[in-house]
Amino acid sequence: MNPYLAMMALFLMVSLMCMLPLVPALVELRRKSDAQPLRVVQQNAGEIRHFANSFRDYIKEIEPTIQRCVTDGTTATGTLVNGEEYVVLGRADEPLLRALEQRDALHPVVITAGVDLTVPAESTLSKEIYAGSLFVGGERNIYRAILGENNVHLGAASQVTRWVHAVGKFTAERGCRLYGRISSDSLIRLRTDCIFLRLNAPRIEIGDTVANEDAASSLVPASANSVPSQRFFHDGDFDVEPGEIIRGNIVIRGNLHIGAGARICGSVKSTKDLVTGDGVSVGGSLVSAQKMQIGPNCAVHGPIVAERELAVASGTRCGSLKHPTTVSAPRIAVEEGAVVFGTLWARERGEVVVGQ
Amino acid sequence: MIYLLYAIVFVICIYTGRHYWFTLNRLFGFQRHPYIDIDTADWPPVTVLVAAHNEEKVVANILDALMTVKYPEDRMLVVPVNDRSTDRTREIIDKFVEDFPGRIQPFHRAGGKGGKAAALKDAMELVNTEVILIFDADYIPGAGLIKQLVAPFFDLEVGGVMGRVVPLNAGTNLLTRLLDLERSGGYQVDQQARMNLRLVPQHGGTVAGVRLSALREIGGWNENSLTEDTDLTYRLLLNGWKTVYQNRSECYEEVPEIWPVRIKQIMRWAKGHNQAMVTYGLRLLLGKNRATLRERIDGTLLLGVYAMAPLTLLGWALALGVFYQGVAPLHGVIALLSLTAYAALGNLAAFFEIAAAARLDGTRKRISLLPFLILGFAVSIFSVSRAAFSQVSDLVTGAEFHWDKTERFRKVS
Repeated sequence: MNPYLAMMALFLMVSLMCMLPLVPALVELRRKSDAQPLRVVQQNAGEIRHFANSFRDYIKEIEPTIQRCVTDGTTATGTLVNGEEYVVLGRADEPLLRALEQRDALHPVVITAGVDLTVPAESTLSKEIYAGSLFVGGERNIYRAILGENNVHLGAASQVTRWVHAVGKFTAERGCRLYGRISSDSLIRLRTDCIFLRLNAPRIEIGDTVANEDAASSLVPASANSVPSQRFFHDGDFDVEPGEIIRGNIVIRGNLHIGAGARICGSVKSTKDLVTGDGVSVGGSLVSAQKMQIGPNCAVHGPIVAERELAVASGTRCGSLKHPTTVSAPRIAVEEGAVVFGTLWARERGEVVVGQ
Repeated sequence: MIYLLYAIVFVICIYTGRHYWFTLNRLFGFQRHPYIDIDTADWPPVTVLVAAHNEEKVVANILDALMTVKYPEDRMLVVPVNDRSTDRTREIIDKFVEDFPGRIQPFHRAGGKGGKAAALKDAMELVNTEVILIFDADYIPGAGLIKQLVAPFFDLEVGGVMGRVVPLNAGTNLLTRLLDLERSGGYQVDQQARMNLRLVPQHGGTVAGVRLSALREIGGWNENSLTEDTDLTYRLLLNGWKTVYQNRSECYEEVPEIWPVRIKQIMRWAKGHNQAMVTYGLRLLLGKNRATLRERIDGTLLLGVYAMAPLTLLGWALALGVFYQGVAPLHGVIALLSLTAYAALGNLAAFFEIAAAARLDGTRKRISLLPFLILGFAVSIFSVSRAAFSQVSDLVTGAEFHWDKTERFRKVS
């Protein structure tokens, strides 16, 4: 073989091999199949009611049907714009009960208007439910999502896989598993052994007996906004003495223990574990980079954030009706008798435990 | 000469290891997003500074977006900082002031020292809120962004906050697509890993926030700095304030669409970063300050990021030199240099960080552009090195730094 030709062939071969990794790149550059900007959530702020609001919009198209069913007291079935089946119950709920008696999951979107809806025990509703009036669920039911225009009550050991929004009160009996978002425009009440992730309501009550609002609010000092912005900085573990009053913000690079009855008129940060005694009040935020344990009958005005775990004891109040707040940690255990005004958000697992 | 080569290879290996550590942490480690769940609070008053120098193409977009964000209207004041604009920027801002009475207070600056830091410094006379947010005029904040950027300030240790930057004009051409990948790696992996590991997430000076009391404590904006964001990060760190990164607080930006603009931008970043390295490097690593040990080490390495380019070039030159000197056997060292140089150097992220970021972002096809990053690498290594050399020569000749604004490409709205 001609040596020049061989050289040329070798050169071409090597060039081709070098170009090989660039082929998919060149194809993508030309086709621009994945050239859109990354999707950034622009229009909503991650509101807990986002799904509920979207669902309300979604069923708007069958509003005339709902109105007709309410007026005539009839039921209707049909298909929504994306092909999903629906059932509208204007008066009685026989079609729903008939399907549930078969013990299979009920697949259509269920809409009840103007009538109270009672779902028998051990039912599975695998699509969204719209309840125009009261919603009462039996024990051990499984729901995907519920939008209730009035109160929503779940029986013991029920499960929600996506979301619930109640315009009225939302209550969950013992042992409910509330995965996803649960919100109410007035009140959420959870009983013992309930598991939750994200809750939001003006008032979230854990258990039946909750902290006395008047007594606890008297513990809360002035808003954090009026506190001087200077920080008291301490390296190492630190104890706030019982009954001590601190006017200002404190940053502790270590473990922090706040003694019973102490009052902090400002915010608190601990880079390790943070433990508060009985009846402590904090005017601003409470942040721990590790675990946090809030003792009984405490009052915290601002956001509460623990990066690992959070335990909230009975009788403790977080935020107030006028100043709602967020309580957040990957794992949260809240004792019966605690109250949160605003958001209670456990990224991994939240649970209601019996008070000590 | 050979010992110098050994030293360079050692340093490059450290940077390579650091990048692998970040990537593995991001893929398999514990992810820290401690403040992102704060969605209900007694939101504090906030001032939003919008830095604008000849921004007629983009300023209306950001003001529009800020007027529709979900934050209590009576607690948010927007201050467009019109820095000596000679185009229609002032006119556009004034129209917004008229349309949204009480919500926008413009700061029109006709003279004074050039540069963003100097403009922000002058605009501080209008600021009396504890929380300040800063945006460049080409950014478009989403509805929930302000709350997300304010939330970390409930933590008393936090002095600065940084959100994630996402290119809006990603698909325009090869350069924007490469920058989109780079940004993705830099934020999704590099910044978040530093947040996870409690190291030093960097303040970016835009889609960002700063606490007024912290800013006052560290002496305000440094108008002599070419990159006020890096400067701010280190002064906060030295004074015991944390800068936190919020990966889920995303905001669209515009990236350069032509190479000369990109080169100018990266040269400015390199000069500013090197300036901070000289000013704060030793003080951070060895001085008496409030930074933790891991922050001292990571902070020092972060300061040296832009010094890696000239160092790598020097390493290559030395490797060639010792080869022709006949020093042998050096195969291992040279192989290590070849392997690590590309993995250690990145303006925002190394190539495997970018690959990991693309996976985390859930994108598919854009990752096939990865081989083209070698082009960005080549441009960066020479531009950054050129910036470093010109910085040294400026030091010798006494020439002053000057601030170049990045050109915009959006059509006037």
